[in-house]
Amino acid sequence: METLDGTEWDVVIAGTGLPQSLLALSLSRSGKSVLHLDRNDYYGGNEAALSLSEARDWATKHAATGEEAHNTTFSHATIQENAVEEGGIKLSQPRAYSLALAPHVIHAQSKLLAALVSSRMHNQLEFQAVGSWFLAEPLSENDGSRSHITRVPSGREDIFRDNTFDLRAKRSLMKFLRFVQNYEEQPQAWQSDAERPFPDFLQQKFGLPPSSHGALLSLTLLPSAANSTSTGSALPLIARHLRSIGVFGPGFGAVLPKWGGLAEIAQVACRAGAVGGGVYVLKKGIDSISSASEDHIKLVLSDGEKITTRWLAGCSDDLPPIGTREITGRMTRSISIVTPPLVQLFPPTSEGGVTPAGAVVIVPSSTADEPPVQIVAHSHESGECPSTQSVLYGSVALPYEQGKTHLAAAVEAVLQGYEESSHHSLWSLCYHQNNVREERGPSTNTIVLAHAPLELGLSDSTFDEVKLAWQQITGETEGFMVFEAREGMEDDD
Amino acid sequence: MSDSPAPSAPKPSSSVKLVLLGEAAVGKSSLVLRFVNDAFEPNKEPTIGAAFLTQKCNLPNRTIKFEIWDTAGQERFASLAPMYYRNAQSALVVYDITKASSLVKAKHWIAELQRQASPGIVIALVGNKLDLVEDEEEGEAQEGEGEGEGEEDGKVRRVSTKEGKDYADEENLLFFETSAKSGHNVNEVFTAIANAIPETSLKGPRGGAGGATQAALGSGAQDNSRVNLNANADAGPKEGCAC
Repeated sequence: METLDGTEWDVVIAGTGLPQSLLALSLSRSGKSVLHLDRNDYYGGNEAALSLSEARDWATKHAATGEEAHNTTFSHATIQENAVEEGGIKLSQPRAYSLALAPHVIHAQSKLLAALVSSRMHNQLEFQAVGSWFLAEPLSENDGSRSHITRVPSGREDIFRDNTFDLRAKRSLMKFLRFVQNYEEQPQAWQSDAERPFPDFLQQKFGLPPSSHGALLSLTLLPSAANSTSTGSALPLIARHLRSIGVFGPGFGAVLPKWGGLAEIAQVACRAGAVGGGVYVLKKGIDSISSASEDHIKLVLSDGEKITTRWLAGCSDDLPPIGTREITGRMTRSISIVTPPLVQLFPPTSEGGVTPAGAVVIVPSSTADEPPVQIVAHSHESGECPSTQSVLYGSVALPYEQGKTHLAAAVEAVLQGYEESSHHSLWSLCYHQNNVREERGPSTNTIVLAHAPLELGLSDSTFDEVKLAWQQITGETEGFMVFEAREGMEDDD
Repeated sequence: MSDSPAPSAPKPSSSVKLVLLGEAAVGKSSLVLRFVNDAFEPNKEPTIGAAFLTQKCNLPNRTIKFEIWDTAGQERFASLAPMYYRNAQSALVVYDITKASSLVKAKHWIAELQRQASPGIVIALVGNKLDLVEDEEEGEAQEGEGEGEGEEDGKVRRVSTKEGKDYADEENLLFFETSAKSGHNVNEVFTAIANAIPETSLKGPRGGAGGATQAALGSGAQDNSRVNLNANADAGPKEGCAC
């Protein structure tokens, strides 16, 4: 293997998560010499997709529970493998799985999707529909009998047909949905309530009964408790949901990348970055940063090699600490492989439409002061598990111990929500994730990108930040992620 | 020519990701160049950076569009292959029949593919540069073991057909000896790979936007979970109002 020692680069990028990979790709196509490093022996960083055996290694590496777990991104990882009865469906071979650390839901109007098209990356990706949203009964109200899981009506026709709301509630709901479609143009209707809890706003301004609040809250994909969800944060997200429906096909508004969530986008970006001339090296981190001259940075890599670069970019996890780090979000998460497949969660989005591979199930907490458990379900169509199984990605904005209990109960509620057969979990991984943010002075040539946000609905913040970094490094303003077709890889027709 | 689907029954078209592996200078890029452009550059420069090319392969009952990922040039850091063979349905592992060490490297790649790549991956082992030894082909090509330094331009066969074939049989690989220069067996390799891809792992074109458009997406054909991100470009305004 060749050495990197003594090499000079325009940009060194640390970590192959989604933000870094998009940046590396965009820069490699802007004529910059790019060295893209990852201290791990796999691609994807915090957004990686893991086989079962990789997940085991990953869990061992992120099992810390003590002091050191406070400020690290991942901690408390534990795996539980459940015994299988005689003749039951067993786990398949490790590589039959591609479990996503970042099972985000991407709405149709996300800037990222537009950039994937303008950069032609979408030709290398496969997207599938996140079809239905479901609402389970609140956790404590389940007295041990089967919980009920109801589909959240996704449009006007759905609401008309729904029989859980009375006529008055339906009318109020319609009125609210009409309002949300262009809420920006009616600031007088909500701006004074922006800081108030969203449920209060729904009740007082639209006369919506509490029974309808859960459904509307579920559309936001916000991890916060009902009473801590402000009107100002909920409205844009409900609008995002509604405006996305139908953009890529009837009956759904959000998609997921096949084969392991955001990992797949990051990998495709890396592949394209390599084709664009970027140099990729795994198992190599950055040990120290010092300034070599006015506009050059000297880096010492984990194996002692010294290199220089004009720019350095990465997320805080991949850079030696310099600035102050703060935790901007905390979440306990779980990944459960369940069997038999939860086919009920993936009804067709419309007649003749695409078969959804994803669904969202919200399991509210017993009180409006506690956060809900959010579950993203992926069918085997996602390429993440064998056809006899499904994968449930749970998350809850609670500390580990409490979060783990809530997650387990919520997954159980989903498994017991259908009468036909006895669904059960074969394997699960539970872990805690902090969103670590590091601020660093703007005068340096080091750009610290934020990690992809923890919220399930992928916001545009990652895209915006990468674009800003690209602008800063290239000095260009236009043309981010807009590439011409390359020889030999143009579209066919 | 195959691009305008006949109104009656267009052949199903599927994309297949193929990753190209092998030691430097065994002729990986030349093989692909022969397959894609039916051309050969005698003194090709080493490939800098990675390469991506596509080429269609017409079978009697379907069309396979190969998406070929060439890790060339970057093997020196041994980091590109893992992201290339992720989700690849096929791999072409190339060695140079005039260089024994290149088969050792090829075996190393095959072991890695068997350990890390998708379980059903179709692997073809290819001994390239057959043109260099064609003169002596008749006899049992074989000299001593070592790659003597005095060897001029490696014109002597160092890996017998039997050795390659036996290994391929043992590991359940497709096997060919090729010449990117003359074109011998090159199309055969890709056709054999296309034929060996199980029907079940073909799920419509990966390249959503182009290709056989209507077959691609959303039209409710068989097993259709793929969403076309370009759908909105065809139908109505790009931004905003799906409301």
